[in-house]
Amino acid sequence: MIQVNNLTKVYKLSKRKMQQMKTTENIKKAANDISFEAKDGQIYGLLGPNGAGKTTTLRCIATLLTPSAGTVTVCGHDTVKEGEAVRQELCFLTNEIKLDPFFTPKYLFEFFGHAHGMSDEEIEARRKELFGYFGISEFENKKMQELSTGMKQKAAIAVSLVHNPQVIIFDEPTSGLDVVTARSVTDMLKKLKEEGKTIIISTHIMSEAEKLCDCIGVIIDGKKVIEGTLQEIIDKTQAEDLEDAFFKLYSEHHKEEEPFNPKSGFGGRK
Amino acid sequence: MKNSMLIVKKELARVFKDKQMIISLFVLPVIIMFGIYGLMGSLTKSITKDIEEHESVVYIQNAPAEIKDLAAATGYNQTAHISYLNDNTSESEMLEIKDGILAGTNDLLVVFDKDFKETFSAYTNAGDEIPEMTLFYNSAESYSSQAKDVFNAMMAQNYRTMLQAQRFGNLDLLTVFSINEEKIVNEAKENGQFLSMMLPYLIVMLLFASAMSICVDAIAGEKERGTLSSLLLSPIKRSELAFGKLFGLAILSSMSAIVYAVSSIFSMGSFASSIDGGEGVTFSFVQILELAAIMVVLVYMFVAIVCAVSILAKDTKQASSYVSPLYIVVIVLGLVTMLSMGKSPSDIMYLIPVYGSAMAIQGITIQTLTGIQFLFTILGSLVFAALATYGVKKAFDSEKIMFNA
Repeated sequence: MIQVNNLTKVYKLSKRKMQQMKTTENIKKAANDISFEAKDGQIYGLLGPNGAGKTTTLRCIATLLTPSAGTVTVCGHDTVKEGEAVRQELCFLTNEIKLDPFFTPKYLFEFFGHAHGMSDEEIEARRKELFGYFGISEFENKKMQELSTGMKQKAAIAVSLVHNPQVIIFDEPTSGLDVVTARSVTDMLKKLKEEGKTIIISTHIMSEAEKLCDCIGVIIDGKKVIEGTLQEIIDKTQAEDLEDAFFKLYSEHHKEEEPFNPKSGFGGRK
Repeated sequence: MKNSMLIVKKELARVFKDKQMIISLFVLPVIIMFGIYGLMGSLTKSITKDIEEHESVVYIQNAPAEIKDLAAATGYNQTAHISYLNDNTSESEMLEIKDGILAGTNDLLVVFDKDFKETFSAYTNAGDEIPEMTLFYNSAESYSSQAKDVFNAMMAQNYRTMLQAQRFGNLDLLTVFSINEEKIVNEAKENGQFLSMMLPYLIVMLLFASAMSICVDAIAGEKERGTLSSLLLSPIKRSELAFGKLFGLAILSSMSAIVYAVSSIFSMGSFASSIDGGEGVTFSFVQILELAAIMVVLVYMFVAIVCAVSILAKDTKQASSYVSPLYIVVIVLGLVTMLSMGKSPSDIMYLIPVYGSAMAIQGITIQTLTGIQFLFTILGSLVFAALATYGVKKAFDSEKIMFNA
């Protein structure tokens, strides 16, 4: 289980960044008093436009960032005080965090298995299971840099799951993948959910969130603006579907800005 | 500690599982060092041999009658092609010969005074006219300089002695005392002069270059590729991660540096003996241990410093631009040692990192390093290495540095 209580993360802005962002304030609240709970056996979807604070929130949960205020606990461990214990319980997969291109999936799987304190036998059994599921065995001895995007993503997911973590955090898990690979990833997420794992995903793909998520939280400008099941969100926003609900929520918070563009994202932000 | 070893193994695997890395770190340096010094040695030998074998083109004007016989007796006429000119040689012809010396086609013009022998014979009292011999040569041309030296040694000196004998009869009367030179020398120091000048500079420079080539990519490169974050997400403590990285990189840099240093010593030793025919330098077991200890501590210090600087950068390009000024400082400190050859700094100066190490390596090659100098060298480097290690550890803890947060 993950509990996020009044999480706030403040970044200090350099003068250059202040000029770029056209602001006179020298701080930016990337996450502003966010609270939510992701339960075991549940997929929690974190949705929001680019720069809304999703990645900051996920990084705080994964112990990569320290909250400026508020607390985050993962399986009962405080992310600030018990960082190593938290990292033992979770896996965090994002496009920004990659596996070393000079090593093979097999080497990396064994390396991270050992880093999590697993024995050779445990690693081998886990490798057979995950490499078999994702069809990695065929290219397990090829260097990461020689693999296609889909192969890399499969290897990255398998490596991140080596220690059979209770908490799984995937940032844009199917981004850039072909339909077949994306399907194997979403099937894996469903399987993990059935095993009772706590899963958080952030995604831009509304259909993916609709199909996968038991609970959805929407973050805009660092604030959680709504939370609930798919139906609850549609009902609360009186929208036709999740995308429509999303658009309405965004428009409410950015009345003076340009509307949502499906290609470039909300507000044209990158 | 167990996790640090895991990181060390990964750093080693990164190199030893990659053929290109093995070649660039351990094979190329050997080829390059032996190639450079082998080429330098063979070029120097070839130039010297060529100069020695060159038949000088020499013109002698107004040569006294004995000169031809002297050239035959000393064998000078076999080393030079001599053209004898008389006093009737025109100005334009003389100018042409001098132009030839300037152009490198002629090597030497020797002009005796018109009445050289008569002036010599007429000398009776102090203050009387002394005859002159003028040598025209080109100091910028090796052949010409060599021709001048050979003429002086084989002809001018002998002719002077011949005329002195004619004037005084028994030359022994002119000898009022003789000079004996007895060499008292530490042969190891004498043999190590060349190495002691070059080796500290080369070792210091190569160690830093090794550390730079490995560490910039291992830290800033990993940060740029996003692979460092995957390590930060593992349960490995940041301090274990920092120490593991540093030790792994220090091992690799040491191995690379040892390859460089051993290649340098052997290739430079053979180069030095090939040009001066001297004996190579031999080190005692203790000196080898001292050299190894200085190099190991120095390479760890370099690794820690390069890592501490690289970690502040966002990518390898930025890291290289941060580290390059340090490289220049290291080169300058190494050069200072090379140029201050023969001066003995006070013991306390050995505490200065890099400079102290270079001085200590110099001391080892000429076998003058004292125990206290060795200890100060190690201590100075260790203090700096510890500070840089602390810096790396703090950087790994900093989300601002690791994630630009």
